[in-house]
Amino acid sequence: MSTEETKTTDKAADAPPPEPVKDPNSVTLTIDGREVTVPKGTNVIEAARKAGIEISSFCYHPGLPIAANCRQCLVSIEKSPKLQPSCQAIAGDGMVVHTTDEHSKLARRQMLEFTLVNHPIDCPICDKAGECRLQQLYFDFDNAPSRVNTPKVHKSKRVDLGPTIVLDQERCILCTRCIRVCDEVAGQHQLEMSYRGNKERLGTAPGAVLDNPYSLNTVDVCPVGALTSKDFRFTMRAWELTMTPSVCTGCATGCNIEVHHKNDRVWRLIPRHNPDVNDYWMCDEGRFTYKPLRADRAMAPVIKGMPAVMADAVDEAEKRLRAALDGDKNRIGVVVSTQHNNEDNYALAKLSRDIWELTRFYKSGKPVEPDRADDILRDEDVNPNRAGVIAILGEGVAAIPSILEKDLLAGELSTLIVLGHELPVSEAAAARATGIDNLIVIADREIGIAEHADVLLPSAAWAEANGTITNRKGMVQRMHAAVTPPGEAQPGWLLVGLLARACDAAVQYDTAKLVFNEMKGAVEAFKDADWGRPHLPIQLRFAHSRG
Amino acid sequence: MGNLKSYVLGRKNVEDLDANEELPQELMTINMGPSHPAMHGTVRIVLTVDGERVVRSDVQPGYLHRCFEKESEHATYTQVFPYTDRLNYVSPLLNNVGYAMAVEKLLDLTDEIPERLQYIRVIIGEISRITDHLTCIGASAMELGAFTAFLYFLKAREWFYTLLEELSGARLTHSYVRIGGVANDLTDDFEEKTLHILDELETVMHEVFILINNNRIFYDRMAGVGTFSREDAISHGLTGPCLRASGVDYDVRKDFPYLVYDRFEFDVPIGSEGDCYDRYLVRMEEIRQSMRILRQAFEQLPDGPVKVDDPRVALPDKPATYNTIEAMIRHFKHIVDGIRVPAGEGYTFIEGGNGELGFFVVSDGTGRPYKCYVRSPSFVTLSTASKTIEHHLISDIVPIFGMINMIGGECDK
Amino acid sequence: MAQKVLEALQKKFGDAITATETNHGDEVAYVKRDKLIEVATYLRDDSAMAFDSPVFVTCIDRMGNDPGNEYRFAVCYQLRSVEKRHRIRLKIELKEDDVKLPSLAALWPGFNWQERETFDMYGIKFEGHEDLRRIYLYEEFVGYPLRKDYPKDKRQPLVRRHGEAKRVKR
Repeated sequence: MSTEETKTTDKAADAPPPEPVKDPNSVTLTIDGREVTVPKGTNVIEAARKAGIEISSFCYHPGLPIAANCRQCLVSIEKSPKLQPSCQAIAGDGMVVHTTDEHSKLARRQMLEFTLVNHPIDCPICDKAGECRLQQLYFDFDNAPSRVNTPKVHKSKRVDLGPTIVLDQERCILCTRCIRVCDEVAGQHQLEMSYRGNKERLGTAPGAVLDNPYSLNTVDVCPVGALTSKDFRFTMRAWELTMTPSVCTGCATGCNIEVHHKNDRVWRLIPRHNPDVNDYWMCDEGRFTYKPLRADRAMAPVIKGMPAVMADAVDEAEKRLRAALDGDKNRIGVVVSTQHNNEDNYALAKLSRDIWELTRFYKSGKPVEPDRADDILRDEDVNPNRAGVIAILGEGVAAIPSILEKDLLAGELSTLIVLGHELPVSEAAAARATGIDNLIVIADREIGIAEHADVLLPSAAWAEANGTITNRKGMVQRMHAAVTPPGEAQPGWLLVGLLARACDAAVQYDTAKLVFNEMKGAVEAFKDADWGRPHLPIQLRFAHSRG
Repeated sequence: MGNLKSYVLGRKNVEDLDANEELPQELMTINMGPSHPAMHGTVRIVLTVDGERVVRSDVQPGYLHRCFEKESEHATYTQVFPYTDRLNYVSPLLNNVGYAMAVEKLLDLTDEIPERLQYIRVIIGEISRITDHLTCIGASAMELGAFTAFLYFLKAREWFYTLLEELSGARLTHSYVRIGGVANDLTDDFEEKTLHILDELETVMHEVFILINNNRIFYDRMAGVGTFSREDAISHGLTGPCLRASGVDYDVRKDFPYLVYDRFEFDVPIGSEGDCYDRYLVRMEEIRQSMRILRQAFEQLPDGPVKVDDPRVALPDKPATYNTIEAMIRHFKHIVDGIRVPAGEGYTFIEGGNGELGFFVVSDGTGRPYKCYVRSPSFVTLSTASKTIEHHLISDIVPIFGMINMIGGECDK
Repeated sequence: MAQKVLEALQKKFGDAITATETNHGDEVAYVKRDKLIEVATYLRDDSAMAFDSPVFVTCIDRMGNDPGNEYRFAVCYQLRSVEKRHRIRLKIELKEDDVKLPSLAALWPGFNWQERETFDMYGIKFEGHEDLRRIYLYEEFVGYPLRKDYPKDKRQPLVRRHGEAKRVKR
């Protein structure tokens, strides 16, 4: 650290500015002529990334411990006689690194050549083609023709590793990222390398099966198509997919995800990096939350079991609501949903609590699963938006389900306005619910209580509407619409607006952003929330999220 | 409108009608609509006529608009070639060559194009130019009534199409050129067949020449019609045969030589009056000059590769692709990602059949063009049509339109 | 080869030319919108410049590509000179909510239709153009298709034929 010179008291205009005080926790190094300052302990590959230089690597992953076994990231560091792996070398003050000198470039090409010597010619049938790191690095850094003419080493091609993953041993480049994921992220040692030299291959640890709940993360980190997801393999080509960022609705953790879709259909979900929520990972169950988007969807409004036109359904609902409001308001119950986003819940709450001044609120959702909780990512609460509902309606106002049970069995309710299709009550109470005078449901699927509704208005599902949800830590996260809602389904807040307008209540919004802005002002817990910028769907090959 | 009924029903003779009171005087608006035999490639002209004389006209193109620019923004650079074929569909190879040159300029490959490749591009370009002019003159002659000239020229055009079909696999939409090369080398007997066709073409040209060149009807309908002055032609941005017919000596091949055009001896015909007859003569002479260039090109044609040897742009050969992983990866990335052109923009222009055909390509570093704008000469030439056909008779529209050679695909993109 | 043109422009108009560049053999001058007519008239009428022929007009939509740049559109005019054999491209940058600029169709009639095309595709309004209407697309078309936020597969509503054909009673 430089000592400050004693300055003269003469503050002449041409006195040089004082030298900046150096932060003792940062180092400055030079990479390819560019100076960059990074915190102490950063490795050279991350320092280069900060300087805008991308060093090729296979086995390095910022969320996993360093292995330095692929040797793809070798760079020349002055004062070191041999090339150093930049993922393992810690940046030192005054270090000078060269990544484009002849020695490093030759090493890079040679490592790629070695990796490709026994790589099977599987690109046309490999799932990873188009998002494959080996393809990308070869094309960007090597592009040299093959020099060997010997038969390739053969290994097993379709090894069933577990319930979710299929392994192709020939494609594996032995980077051990998957082993580190299982060991460090999932905490279970289930994968191992065996043999050595060009016979080295990946397999399960003795007596183990790859069945931990984070197994599909290995497919994400695998740089080639060795590990493939049984759910996704051979269904869709990666480069045809479009990426939209969103948040997982599997549980209250709210892992950030990317929705990969094409032609209005979601094909898979993969995690997005968020150091505050989920780092680079997500659990397997969350990845399958895209399947209900196409199951039993409500695509048209329904009046007492018969499909109807939206205008007629709204009229029917209006008749029933007016009749109910003219009578005893205390017999009207409103069920908000921890499965729906903040905007839907807020619109319904505003209409029923602020304008109609109803008092009976209940929150619905899927029952809690205590076995599910672990310290890694999975939460016992499988409802994504409980914190949001509580913030909007208050702890006490949104009564716990057992009160709903009590009220139903006591016959105290004549009208129920339900958001979502869950009604977490016993069978007897559910039978009571179907029998009450007015049952108006806004749901995306025609299952559960929605099947027995007097009026069902179809709502858009989580991947089809712009909105926010609040996770267990109270973070309000924005979800972007990826696909269009099927049939006549609309976002929930818009349907609430239709009901409100029919009943002459002043709850009307044109866009989700307007709902959000109003909600942000009205709800204390959301005052720091951010709607973010609009997101134009990016084709996967330009999103740089994989490979 | 006067009593039209009365004198139609009353069957008066025209001489007995009072010109000032009984004949209708107002202008009539009629549609020379998109479906019209003489409106090659669908153009609609809304004419306001006074009898037979055109008072006002509103030329409305766009009936063949197929969103070339928008589609090319979503396709890789190589996938744009079939779209360029369909721009000027009577001289598709010229479009291909122009687009390839535009992208190669952004890739800084212009100096590395092998010699043989440049000659091949010149050869196919000139053949396309001949087919363009044959179609233009033939179709215009047919619309004036000279059906024989049309058939003769189309017969000659078919020879070329058959020849190009052997080369590229399609009569019209070849997609033969690639970035940094062509799809495959010339067939073995290409030279022999082309020279034979050129000899036959001389005969056909002579036959048509004696049929229409000094034909009284043809001359009367074309000469003095659709005159465009030199200053007007320049300020309207005309290029190609229409500009040269008005007396301006401008030909991209001579003034900004590209490929190997500076090695050939050829003349550029210039007209003097700027009317339709001059344009016809300029085109006929250009066919002869193209034949001259072709003969010289075949004499000078060297051996050598027909693709640039740069792994960034050239696909590997098929045996390597199917047997080595390296070539497979390279082939894969080329097809899926496209050729990665460094970010930048550039405007490249060549001499198309109708004038300066330019491609303004903007790239953003990925494998797809960010913008690919075609400066189509027919569009510019058609914009002068409105002014040209005023004060002419309706029947003059036919030769004017024919000699403008508005190719619908190129005009409407 | 048009380097002299750029230098002359910069000397004469100073900061109305915000930037110049040469890429791949083309000379480009970025012109401020309010000085466009002056610059264009000078280019046409000055004997050393003599840009008498228009080449093309188009527009580049840089949406999202350049986060630091507040200008979304860049309208490009390409001019050439028949006798001097030089070419120049003028670029006028426009912000997203202010897409209008003076028309050069009065100076070069060749720009008439090309400006209509740019209006049709990008929505750039050329002030002073005598007849600014759509040229390629039909009048009822909604939106400007070549803008980057217009999705390629967006459908347009079906348009009824003008006037309904009435059946004549026989």
